[in-house]
Amino acid sequence: MHVADVMIKAMAMQIEDGDVFLHGLASPLPALAMHLAKMTHAPNMVYLSVAEGLDPDPERYRLHPCSADPRHTNGCIGIVELLETFDLANKGLLTGMFLGGAQIDKFANINLTCIGSYEKPKVKLPGGAATAFLTPIVKKLVIWTTNHSKRVFVENLDFKTGIGYQEGKKTVVVTDKAVFEATRDGLKLISIHPGVTLEDVIENMSFEPIVEDYGTTPTPTDVELKLIEKLDPDNVRFSEFKR
Amino acid sequence: MKEKLMDAKEAVELIPDGCSITFSGVSMVRKPMGFVAEIIKAKKKDLYLIDREAGMDFDILVAAKCVKKVRAAMVGFEIFGLALNLRRAVEQGEVKFIEETCGAITNAFRAGSQGIPFVPVKGILGTDLVDIHVKEGNWKIIEDPFSGDKMVAVRAVNPDVAVIHVQKADKFGNSSIEGARFEDVYKAKASKRLIITAEEIVPTDYFKQNPEKNTIPYFYVDAVVHMPKGAYPTGCPNYYDPDYDEIRRYVSLCKEGKVEEYIEEFVKRW
Repeated sequence: MHVADVMIKAMAMQIEDGDVFLHGLASPLPALAMHLAKMTHAPNMVYLSVAEGLDPDPERYRLHPCSADPRHTNGCIGIVELLETFDLANKGLLTGMFLGGAQIDKFANINLTCIGSYEKPKVKLPGGAATAFLTPIVKKLVIWTTNHSKRVFVENLDFKTGIGYQEGKKTVVVTDKAVFEATRDGLKLISIHPGVTLEDVIENMSFEPIVEDYGTTPTPTDVELKLIEKLDPDNVRFSEFKR
Repeated sequence: MKEKLMDAKEAVELIPDGCSITFSGVSMVRKPMGFVAEIIKAKKKDLYLIDREAGMDFDILVAAKCVKKVRAAMVGFEIFGLALNLRRAVEQGEVKFIEETCGAITNAFRAGSQGIPFVPVKGILGTDLVDIHVKEGNWKIIEDPFSGDKMVAVRAVNPDVAVIHVQKADKFGNSSIEGARFEDVYKAKASKRLIITAEEIVPTDYFKQNPEKNTIPYFYVDAVVHMPKGAYPTGCPNYYDPDYDEIRRYVSLCKEGKVEEYIEEFVKRW
């Protein structure tokens, strides 16, 4: 089983029935996680995306490289402009959002802006998109990275694009090795993916996560795997893992 | 109604060097690429590009040395990689980059379209973006006059020019965007000059029979350019999908340092 599918399942599990979730650009894994959740344990989830189609039909869905691809709205039941989704967020009606993180600190604050200084960056990254606006106002934040490493899990961010831990907000980090939740004391290990060791998880971070009781990340069932494969027959979901 | 149909060469003269400009679409969808080629051909200089989430439109203009400043929440090629020309230009200090956040820039376009001077925007406080925009004069931290809560006031954005690619327009400028509109209607109405490029020029009867399809009415519009495949290689709903092989080819040529080769070919496409 590819770790992408383990991550998709772990991300889907953060969605509860009735939640209103949004995914943005460059988001193959979140798009599949949202479909998986809606097709299994969260049928009443409201699916919103940067493609602006409300509740696209999974039967007619095929994942494409651009998250805003117009075909991602196939069989949707309405158009919800992104600005309208932001209005929902203002009203407290957007439950959650998925965001990447080029750098993540121990409170799950994230940097998507630059490596080095903002004025004279060593690397100018694509940018935070909705991160700064949404991270302080959603109730659930799911951060994902396919590169669990010291370069990503840093002591100090070069730039704070988004806010992780906040009281009253659930912030989860899903990596290609493990799942964490942000707490007031730091990043707490929740589970390790099958085949990954605790050393593997800890040695690839620049700070110590909180390790108490942790479990093994559940893997998708055969039925869930088939659903994922049917939504993504072109294997777009693996593209983030090629390095 | 005045006829505004003209060729791209004529319309591009509505764009002075050094002006602020915004484009339709997002990432690899309905970007006005044909008109971007015209801007490159006309050798426009020192443009200030503003958008929510841009891609090849911004990157190729930077590569062609038409740009001095960019303000956007994200510019890139998603899973295909970074916008290499923009990245290089920003890292070498040739182009100034102001990082936006989607909720602020979209609301700024909407405020611009509404004719109001600023809009209060939630979130954002506590991030490093605040200082950048306060310094630029785009944002201010204010108190909600009713609750006293601190929040960000975002100044309305009224670009000098918007170029909006649509599926159908008539010769007077009545325009129909099909599928997702993103912030395009707000961008169009916020801008001081508006250039419409259209896949198809339809008779005005089309709008008389379907007035609800008129997403940008004629009185906002300064120029209409007939430009079939005007969004290519980005996609245009109901006309063509994004051409991912072509976009990938652009990204790999950029990686090999051969962007000039691509530009030469790109400007001849329309």
